[in-house]
Amino acid sequence: MKRFIILILTIAILLTGCWDKREINQLAFVQGLGIERGKDDMIHLIVEILKPGLLTAGGGGTGGTGGGSAAGKPYAVFQASGVDFAKAFANLNDELPRSLFMQYNEIIFLDEKFARSGIYQTLDFMTRNPEFRRTAYILVVTGGSIQELFNLPSSNELERYPYKEVMGLISNQANTASSYVSDLNEFIETLEIPKKAPITGRLVIVKKDGKATGIRLSGSAVFDNDKLIGFLEEQDTKAVATLMNKLKRSTLTLDKGLKGEKAHISLVVTKARTQISPKIKDGDISFDIKVNVEAYLNEQETKYELTEPENLEKLQTMVSKKIKTAIEHALFILQKKYNVDVVGFVDILHKRNPALWKEVEKDWDKIYPDVKFNVAVKSVIKRSGLSSKPIHPR
Amino acid sequence: MPHKLPDPQYVKENYQYMTLSKELEENIYIFQVLLKGNNDMVFRQISIGDKKVKAFLVYVDGMVDKLLITRNILEPIMIETRKLNKIIYTNDQLFNYINEYFITTSEVNVKDKIGDIIDDLLSGETILLIDGVEKALIISTKGWEGRNIAESTTESYVRGPKEAFVETLRINTSMLRRRIKHPDFVIENMKIGKYSKTDVSIAYIKSIAEDKVVQEVKKRLKKVQIDGVIDSGYLEEFIEDNPFSPFPQIAHSEKPDKVTAEILEGKVAILVDGSPFALMVPAVFVQFFQAAEDYYERYFLSSALRILRIAAMFIALLFPSIYIAETTFHQEMIPTQLAISIAAQREGVPFPALLEALFMEITFEILREAGIRLPMQVGQAVSIVGGLVVGQAAVQAGLVSPAMVIVVAMTGIASFSIPAYNVAITFRLLRFIIMIAAGTLGFFGIIMVVMMILAHMASLESFGVPYLAPMAPSKTQELSDVLIRIPWWAKILRPRTIQRKNIVRQEDTRG
Repeated sequence: MKRFIILILTIAILLTGCWDKREINQLAFVQGLGIERGKDDMIHLIVEILKPGLLTAGGGGTGGTGGGSAAGKPYAVFQASGVDFAKAFANLNDELPRSLFMQYNEIIFLDEKFARSGIYQTLDFMTRNPEFRRTAYILVVTGGSIQELFNLPSSNELERYPYKEVMGLISNQANTASSYVSDLNEFIETLEIPKKAPITGRLVIVKKDGKATGIRLSGSAVFDNDKLIGFLEEQDTKAVATLMNKLKRSTLTLDKGLKGEKAHISLVVTKARTQISPKIKDGDISFDIKVNVEAYLNEQETKYELTEPENLEKLQTMVSKKIKTAIEHALFILQKKYNVDVVGFVDILHKRNPALWKEVEKDWDKIYPDVKFNVAVKSVIKRSGLSSKPIHPR
Repeated sequence: MPHKLPDPQYVKENYQYMTLSKELEENIYIFQVLLKGNNDMVFRQISIGDKKVKAFLVYVDGMVDKLLITRNILEPIMIETRKLNKIIYTNDQLFNYINEYFITTSEVNVKDKIGDIIDDLLSGETILLIDGVEKALIISTKGWEGRNIAESTTESYVRGPKEAFVETLRINTSMLRRRIKHPDFVIENMKIGKYSKTDVSIAYIKSIAEDKVVQEVKKRLKKVQIDGVIDSGYLEEFIEDNPFSPFPQIAHSEKPDKVTAEILEGKVAILVDGSPFALMVPAVFVQFFQAAEDYYERYFLSSALRILRIAAMFIALLFPSIYIAETTFHQEMIPTQLAISIAAQREGVPFPALLEALFMEITFEILREAGIRLPMQVGQAVSIVGGLVVGQAAVQAGLVSPAMVIVVAMTGIASFSIPAYNVAITFRLLRFIIMIAAGTLGFFGIIMVVMMILAHMASLESFGVPYLAPMAPSKTQELSDVLIRIPWWAKILRPRTIQRKNIVRQEDTRG
């Protein structure tokens, strides 16, 4: 009898399963979620849904997928709108024969107009819903609509569908640091630090004769709270990344030779370490910024031998100066143009001097534009590539 | 004067308590009553010495060495005893003379209980009955055709001793004795089986094996009251601690080298006549993952292979379940590209992943079973049919997805890499339970069943030794022979989970 009861209980437990069972081939894999604001102020969702049968060559061995790989794109674009994100999402689901599967989506595209109007409610939905990845990147699309992005002619792409193309751009920008892409996690964390402003990548749709022909990850989008307020150029983005200690590798071009002549020297920055410390003098707050840079020579149009200590010294000074100028420019833009704190000076002040922070917290918006920054850059050139001496043509 | 012979019915019922009588006629009559109708019984009547004393030689044809009987028994007592003519003797004296001077085999016993004599007769001894003597000579003439010692077919090594046990108990014990030449090595005998009267030997080293375990083994074996013991597997079921567990709690092997190694660690081996598989107690779980070869190969390689085997165990147990759970509940855990490719393969597959997996796994099990039972020539045909039809055709017909074929194949191969067949079977069975749990509850189900299995394993014991030792209860020092194997010169102590009597294996010669 005891065994019988245990058997019944086991069956009962097992039978309560299955309720959330979904076979993998009943899912609509979303890769690429675009959010726009429609004319009537509705939230407008555009998704790129993959067709697995067309994506995997040779996957057609099983019954129903013999459609041929050349026939059409391996994805379909669907859109739906609603008064809020949840409603739009539900509407989208009603249009699909398979259930929406967001877990594979690692990029959220925001339309520029939508981003300017504030993205708080979207973030709320995404953080509540377990289906959304907190590691998804956020990109602001400019120069065209998301619709255009998703329907980019495949002849201009290396990858098989636009989402993958963008994904490649994001991982590849680590080589040049010309954009700074945040993911959902970082974005939300930044939002929660008072007075700190998030930035994320900007995706530019390149157009020719009014038709989208390509895409480019360029610069970054600056937010004030949850609203987009403007963009940073590529150089400024690099400087900001350096300040945030997030620069992994970048390129740098000087437009003067060692003796001031007109020539170009290119370097690759391989390491940048920044230390920021607040200074208080007569009630004025300023920040000391110390940057240590490591770089190697990539190309020079002149013929200086860097094995000479003198030349090396000179080049290092020039690099430091260049970086210093770039950082100062970026800080100027953030301070004076946008009046936002992307780098997180507030955070540093808060941690180093909590008492003072309490005093200035209320008036920070007024204090911040006039805060002084003392930038000091020290750069070291470690290598000069494969050749230690330049080629000397006869 | 005709002697009154006893009633046949009475003889049949009470022969075990009867002793021989002085009358040869009566003795032969009793034997004939008991063994009537057996045409392999040989009753050879002879006359001994110059007085022509009547005698009977009784043996079972086919179980004795006939050459031995002719040369060492019949020749001396029929020809040589004629030389006794100068001496005056009684029949009893004649019996002693024959025992002491004439019979030239190595082992002769004197017995008078009819029950014992019948037992010896039926196990291949030759009985000599002499008129007027109340005793019988039991002459050891065992000799029958058995299998030669050959290479093991179930446990094969690349490196290490190749010989395996055979069906003859004496040969098997000799193989052990040859490997342990110490007076403390004990081989005790007992007979089990009301009809089969099978010889069972218990082998251990007196100064190492835990006395309690030896006593327990004897106690449990004595309790067995079965009619016949055909294989050591019979006894295994009688003496294991938890007969309702799917896990084997007694190890077996047909390799004398492996059994010797276990005996040296303090275990007790049980050998059964007629079975080439020796049982070894107590057993712990990890030992089923240790091939004897681990100890013969260099320890780097052995350690790597052990880790590989543990990985294979997890694959054999969990791989299909994880596949089912991931494709039906936790798709986000699959790498995107792989998920897309699985989704593409599954388009057009009519069954849910669970049914698909069960279908394939059961087909695979049927194929494997068919392959084991069939003669080798036909077996090949089966594997072709299995490989082609089940693999290729099922995919092409859209019954299963190619990924599932890979999962099932991986699982099958992984389960073959577990050295002990009996544990591999356990895992094969448990796999199905976990698969059903995975198909209904996802990872939650997998974890639930695995926890239940673990709890069960932790509750098992084999002759007083916890089944999961030395992992749980944890004996840090002995873990050096679980996942990895440390070199021989570093194994200073014997495993203390098995015995605590004599733990020093060797002197520390390396400092």
